[in-house]
Amino acid sequence: MPERHITEILDNTPFIALTQSELSAIREHTSSCIECTNAFQAAQISAVLLKERISEASVSAANANPFFQTRLLAAWREQQEASAWSFRRLWNATGAIVASMAATTAALAVLTFVVPATDTNDQQTAAVVPYSAETVVLDQDQDDNQFTNDQVIKAIYVDDDEDK
Amino acid sequence: MDPVALKTRSRLVGERQSRNGNYLSKALLCRLTPKRALLANSYEQTSDLELARQARAEDESAFAEIVRRYSPRVFHVAHRFFRDRGQAEEAAQETFLKAFAQLKSFEGRGSMEGWLTRIATNTCLNMLRSASRRPELVSPDLTEDETAWLEKVSDTSERLDAEQKVIAADLAERLLQTLAAEDRLALMMIDGEGASVNEVAEATGWSESKVKVRAFRARKKAREALEKLLGKKYQA
Repeated sequence: MPERHITEILDNTPFIALTQSELSAIREHTSSCIECTNAFQAAQISAVLLKERISEASVSAANANPFFQTRLLAAWREQQEASAWSFRRLWNATGAIVASMAATTAALAVLTFVVPATDTNDQQTAAVVPYSAETVVLDQDQDDNQFTNDQVIKAIYVDDDEDK
Repeated sequence: MDPVALKTRSRLVGERQSRNGNYLSKALLCRLTPKRALLANSYEQTSDLELARQARAEDESAFAEIVRRYSPRVFHVAHRFFRDRGQAEEAAQETFLKAFAQLKSFEGRGSMEGWLTRIATNTCLNMLRSASRRPELVSPDLTEDETAWLEKVSDTSERLDAEQKVIAADLAERLLQTLAAEDRLALMMIDGEGASVNEVAEATGWSESKVKVRAFRARKKAREALEKLLGKKYQA
């Protein structure tokens, strides 16, 4: 032991937990080693300082501010309100854009899926409607573009067949 | 009137009066006592798990009861790190607000005290990490009182008076400020409070070997810093 410094023991074990055998070994060594005497004294002072710091902390913890709970609950309420408020604020800022986007999407969907289906029905109906030869030949209908060549020819020949 | 009937009547009247008296006192109590205080009292017998469930549903009284039960413990942890009352309060407040945000993770497997201790410890560690720390404690930094204390304290068996205790706590704080936050925690808990390595590991979530390494490093650094100061004293 006298050849070996005691700092290893001091750094590995809390000062308050040193056993009697460790303490006697330390005393034996420090009687002949000035370096280790300083180290031992420093460890001793360190233990005293920590003890005082801990006892001060315990006293402070016991004398906590009596208004702490009131303050904390106020902060908690504020936090709750702030989270609700931030959602409302976000909606106020973006609500109009979101609503207009939704309306545009709905309008596009109607134009894409509903209107073409209605047009097809109209075309089918138009194909079935019989036109008289006079209407077609004398151009009594205002809108020429509605008739296809097939429709015109069919209308003329149907009338001829009926005359026969 | 028949004496039996009279007796029965007086008994009934007496009962009614006492019942009315009870109602009156209860009504008066309700009027005089704030509603919240009554609600908070009603949670005194509630289990921690049930309190957590109700607080999750934004029940303020349940949250208040959690704070009432565990604020001494949280303050104890906070003062271990912060000497300043304001900083300790700030740490305690942040601990409870964080705990409320994380209430979903509390499933009642461990104790609420242990769960809050861990949150408080981590909150304080984070606060301490963000604070600037002094690189080293050197002799010229010491006040006259501190230097005088170090000179007198060679005989540590001597009892310290109130003033010396304050100086010791000041010096201890300055010494602790030179350490990393984790090292400081390990030193305070193991060497100061006498906690076991396992207890520190539980409070922090670290492995036991990490706790041992932190404590060793802190002990060594504190001892060496004091040795330097004492060396100056011997030279003088």
